Amino acid sequence: MSVDYKTAMVTSGPGIFFDGLTSARHHVSVELEPATLLVRGAEGHLLTRWPYADLEHLSAPDGMLRLGRRGNALLARLEIRDSVLAAAIDELAATVDRTGTIERRSRTRVVAWSLAAVLSLILVGVFGVPAIADRLTPYVPAAVERKFGEAVDAQVRSTLDSGRSGGALVCGAAETEKEGRAALNRLVARLEAAAALSIPIELAVVRQPPANAFALPGGRVYVFEGLINKAQSADEVAAVIAHELGHVAHRDSTRSVIQAAGLSFLFGMVLGDFVGGGAVVMASKALLQTSYSREVERRADAYGIELIAKIGGDPHALGEILTRIDGSNHPGMKLLLDHPDTQDRLAAIKAAPPATGAIPLLSPTEWAALKRICTGR
Amino acid sequence: MSALEAVGPSPSSADAARVAADTAAAAIPPGVGTARFVGSDKAYWRLMVRGAVLLLCTLGIYRFWLATDQRRFLWANTEVAGDPLEYTGTAREILVGFLIAIAVLVPIYVGFFIAAMDLGTIGRISGLLAFVLLALFGKFAVYRARRYRLTRTVFRGVRLHQSGSAWLYAFYSLLWLALTFISAGLLYPWAQASLERYKMRHTFYGDAPGRFVGSGTRLFLKGGTLWLVVMGPLLLGLGYAIRGVDWNALADAIGSDNVIGQIESASPNFGPALASLVAALLWSTLAAAVFYPAFQAMTLRWWASGLRFGTMAAKSRLRARQMYRLYFRFVGYALVFALIAGVISTFVFGFAFAVLKAVDNATIVELTQVIGGIISYVVLMLGYSTIYQVTVKLRLWRLSFETVELTGLQELERVRAAGVASSGFGEGLADALDVGGL
Repeated sequence: MSVDYKTAMVTSGPGIFFDGLTSARHHVSVELEPATLLVRGAEGHLLTRWPYADLEHLSAPDGMLRLGRRGNALLARLEIRDSVLAAAIDELAATVDRTGTIERRSRTRVVAWSLAAVLSLILVGVFGVPAIADRLTPYVPAAVERKFGEAVDAQVRSTLDSGRSGGALVCGAAETEKEGRAALNRLVARLEAAAALSIPIELAVVRQPPANAFALPGGRVYVFEGLINKAQSADEVAAVIAHELGHVAHRDSTRSVIQAAGLSFLFGMVLGDFVGGGAVVMASKALLQTSYSREVERRADAYGIELIAKIGGDPHALGEILTRIDGSNHPGMKLLLDHPDTQDRLAAIKAAPPATGAIPLLSPTEWAALKRICTGR
Repeated sequence: MSALEAVGPSPSSADAARVAADTAAAAIPPGVGTARFVGSDKAYWRLMVRGAVLLLCTLGIYRFWLATDQRRFLWANTEVAGDPLEYTGTAREILVGFLIAIAVLVPIYVGFFIAAMDLGTIGRISGLLAFVLLALFGKFAVYRARRYRLTRTVFRGVRLHQSGSAWLYAFYSLLWLALTFISAGLLYPWAQASLERYKMRHTFYGDAPGRFVGSGTRLFLKGGTLWLVVMGPLLLGLGYAIRGVDWNALADAIGSDNVIGQIESASPNFGPALASLVAALLWSTLAAAVFYPAFQAMTLRWWASGLRFGTMAAKSRLRARQMYRLYFRFVGYALVFALIAGVISTFVFGFAFAVLKAVDNATIVELTQVIGGIISYVVLMLGYSTIYQVTVKLRLWRLSFETVELTGLQELERVRAAGVASSGFGEGLADALDVGGL
């Protein structure tokens, strides 16, 4: 906006004027007065007068100054290609910003606020979404949870069942398996009685080789055959079931659905609508979701240890079976694991007080029957 | 082109401009003009590269400002019959429109989420319902976004505007989409003509009503050969495959243990049928890629030549080879970018691995790897997108204006201003639904 003496002296020059009423082009001369700008037509008659304070600097190609009048319902336009005249107007009107200084300053503000918004959204993702999910979960009616559980259950069963041959998916139905099922029922009944959950538990052992177990919304728990094979005592099986009952008691599946929906909204809709943004969104969602889930697992462990102690089992049994399973699992990327590091979990379990009265949860015959729950194919 | 430059208001005094305009008027018939693009590639590169960096840093929030900057640049540097266009939209308007769109969409998404949980009939059809409704919303947004852009386009102190029902347009365009799909693309020309007629019938420059005179039949006759080359073999292959296979035997075979063996014994034609289908698919994909620029040039020429505002008319002389040149240029730039990115990433990753070897905290190493991987992916994608925007989109914009000849421009002396600025809701909805374009 620096202007030398010569340009400040200019008081008139040519321009093109559109009056905003019609599209007719007027070749005009522009006269600069101390407070206003006069637009005169070819015959010298006054077309309009604009105070400098009302001038609006509009987007234009290089080498053209395009002006409008602020607060004018008409789209009247004055276009000036004469650089000397343009510089003189720039000097007189504060709103005219030919060097782009004002624009750059406002743009810097936009970028700064956008960065602040990103930071705040990340904080909401890390702290806000889990907190909201915690508050909302108790308000989800049990009926909704059960219905949702049924829908998920159908999906899970068809996934578990596909590509598998020999025997029914669920163990315990065949004649040779009935005894095992009875032993399991006794174990579950003891845990359920001690846990005093608001919804009944439906537990099934499925013919699947991995050493795994999970809980679905609405009180369904699946234990895999592989886990029963790995277990060396009834307490170990009970410990895993107690851990899953922790998920049921805490309503973790419902919570995780709310969390996932919240994150999808936050990162999917507000952020990331640009090329390659999908990858950023997916990665941040995965990182956040697994971090929520690690916390959830820690709480389920604590619940399970307490529950197993309540029915007189060995609180350290969970640690023993975890150690055995972990040896056979592949080490993966720690950040993307949805369960906490086994070493951390083991340390937490070891910290629990050891068993007080050593009454086995199942008799040796019952335990032997439970081990055979999936053998009757 | 030189005649147009003379018409342009470049001389340093009003008198000189008038003289120049008069001489130009003497040389060419009255009311005839052209359009040209005066923006430099360099300025657009700068705008887009800076925009890409800011998009990355703000995780996309900057997109409202970038889109506005892009449009301001494109509009301001486009001269039609000597006068540059003007884009008057602001990023704030689009941002507000986007926030309103979110407020409208969230209850709908929540409703579908709850419906999907329900096991009854509603739950089962909710997926399909959501798909149709969102497609309808998308088309609605496209029409409303067009209205926003038109009302933010000012030419010679008069704005463009659009009337018409966005819901009706959405309904028509989904209907035509279905018909085009069913007819294997044969009805595409009539779909385009009909939708364009609807849009232009409701488009105005001040009080000059727009209309579209392009004929679907004309486009069909021009593009028929291309359709035969691309789609013909595919349909033939498909027909042969359908006739050649014993479908009952195939259905029986799929349940059995030895699928391939069963199929082969039941219908000996299965092998050749499959082979012809694959060959047809391969041919169609290849032909579609090779002839796409020619197709694009043809439809763009047809579209531009059909545009009318009052007595003003456009005629496009766009050639297919100009379109091919544009894509070759993109491929060239993309290859150079890949080379540069390869060299840089070799150095950066080499250095990073050396540093990470010294660090024994597993979490930090892992976090660096994950974040580094994502950033390099995004940089690569944004880089290609930027190259595409500048080498293809900008050139396409320039080409479509510079190949056009305008007639009936006498009307420009008497078009009266009309229409009001519309809200940014359509634009925001288009963004929220990912159907936005330039």
